[in-house]
Amino acid sequence: MLGGCGLFFVWQSLRLDLGHPGLPGPGFVPLSLGVVLLLCASLIGIECTRQREVEAVELGHRDVLITLAALLVLPVVFEPLGALLSLGLFGSAMLVLIGRIAAPVAIAGSALGMAACWYFFEVLLGVSLPPGPW
Amino acid sequence: MTGLDQLVGGFAVALSWKGIAYCFIGCLWGTVVGVLPGLGPLAGMTLLLPLTFGLEPTIGIIMLTGIFYGAMYGGSTTSILVRIPGEAASVVTCIDGYEMARQGRAGPALMIAAVGSFIGGTVSILGLMLIAPPLAKVMIAIGPSVQVVLILLALAVITAVSAGSRLKTATMITLGLALSTVGLDKLTGAARFTLGNADLTGGLSFTALAIGLFGLSEILINLERIEQVKAIVPRLADLVPRWKDLRESAPAVGRGSIIGFIFGVVPGVSHVVSTFVSYAVEKRFSKHPEEFGKGAIAGVAGPETANNAVTGTAMIPLLALGIPSIPATAILISALTIHGVQPGPLLLTEHPEVFWGLVASMYVGNIILLILNLPLVGIFVNLLRIPYTWLVPIILIVSVIGVYSVNFSTFDIWVMMISGAAGYLLRKLGYEMAPLLLALVLGDRLEENFRLALTMSGGSYAVFADRLSVAVLASTLGVLLTIQALAWIFGYRKSFADETGSG
Repeated sequence: MLGGCGLFFVWQSLRLDLGHPGLPGPGFVPLSLGVVLLLCASLIGIECTRQREVEAVELGHRDVLITLAALLVLPVVFEPLGALLSLGLFGSAMLVLIGRIAAPVAIAGSALGMAACWYFFEVLLGVSLPPGPW
Repeated sequence: MTGLDQLVGGFAVALSWKGIAYCFIGCLWGTVVGVLPGLGPLAGMTLLLPLTFGLEPTIGIIMLTGIFYGAMYGGSTTSILVRIPGEAASVVTCIDGYEMARQGRAGPALMIAAVGSFIGGTVSILGLMLIAPPLAKVMIAIGPSVQVVLILLALAVITAVSAGSRLKTATMITLGLALSTVGLDKLTGAARFTLGNADLTGGLSFTALAIGLFGLSEILINLERIEQVKAIVPRLADLVPRWKDLRESAPAVGRGSIIGFIFGVVPGVSHVVSTFVSYAVEKRFSKHPEEFGKGAIAGVAGPETANNAVTGTAMIPLLALGIPSIPATAILISALTIHGVQPGPLLLTEHPEVFWGLVASMYVGNIILLILNLPLVGIFVNLLRIPYTWLVPIILIVSVIGVYSVNFSTFDIWVMMISGAAGYLLRKLGYEMAPLLLALVLGDRLEENFRLALTMSGGSYAVFADRLSVAVLASTLGVLLTIQALAWIFGYRKSFADETGSG
């Protein structure tokens, strides 16, 4: 992942004006950073292969996956459905799936929460949230 | 106008109804996020950042700073009563604080932690008042080359004091610097790494990245390991410490204030390091070192004083140099910038009301926290009885609204989500997020000053080794190396390794 980031910065920087060491252009610093990132990623890779016992990292916890999946959907529906409806649905789904609350209670709780959000953010703070199709 | 006049002016702001009300909100919210595992000062500050948009800059900063030191107070409560550190700086307090609670002495532990925090906080504000103004005057005289040297030095120190792998920390710093180059180049106007996306021309949203990398990744990690906790809640009458407790705590509080004060200026994880050093110092100075780990009150008083003494001194590099020393102060930079106030040496001359208002509010905030924390300790601890999985949707919804309201852009929600997932993965693999965030804040200035210095010198790299740069570098490096050496002598790394190793 880090190596990929380094490669991206090197590749994109090469398409910019690099200038010269005495008068660096916009691509000079990012190129240098991309190279250092690649170097660091390589060193970490070598360090990992040298270690005899590599600690296994456990991924895939149910609640973490559900949260990530719900967060992935949220930006997609945030503007089309409106902030309050999309966040209300997000809250209900999360309360049911990871909070293990009965659906009617979760929906009621989310509706109450959204009313509080509307009052606090839109009325008190004047933050205009996406209204949705309505 | 003398410093005293300006301080009086600052108190006029801090003691206005708005100043007190927002300081109270900040302290209250800070204590709540400090108590709740998974929500540290950084997440707490980023979540309430949108609330400051409609406020005057001074009042907004007063509230955010209140969250910062409120979280330091709150963190100690859960460390003592449930052996769960609310935030990293309270890890050491768990050792003796929880032992005291188990022996039925939770009250004195909480009382001493609160009083120590108050004294440490007050001492550090005094330091902030005395050191920041003359330091800012010196900084105004220096050019871009010295700024480059100072920023590089700060990043080098972050790598050196890191508790984990130095290579991984250096990688995170490089990644942070690289991410800071995304957007329009300030000197030429060239679009960099935008891939044709108009949302990226202004760069990656700092708020979205901060909430993602710290808040969201922390929530995801906690979802894996949070269990329902059983808290020991003391009665109000039990809070009064014995004469022996006071006698044993007084020197620890004094030493903790000095340690926190010194470590506050060190970039990186100074608030965490100061607590470990303070604990090791107390154990070394104690007549009964064998009592440490079994409920020694000095083991609570020293570290708790030290981590609160850091809050004031951490403001010195922020306000005088514009360099954040810990991630929480990076959020303050972001907030000040949003309000059109540039932190750094010119802050004191261009916006003295912000500086002195903040200083005065810290005195007020420390008193609010003392009053708030002791009688309401039972209520704060009861927050831990709410299942964490119920809190997660609430925190995420507020985070999403907070991130969206900075630029009114759905793209920022994507940035938050992707950085949160990346942060979770990186933390699982042993990478720290603080260096990345600090480099992200400093990267812009580093590149701008680097290129400016070279342009001014006609392309000569000797500009970074002129007399002034070398003098500043050598003296700062000398001070930091001495502090580092002290940290090593008093076994910060060993203590940290022991503690994390023992879980």
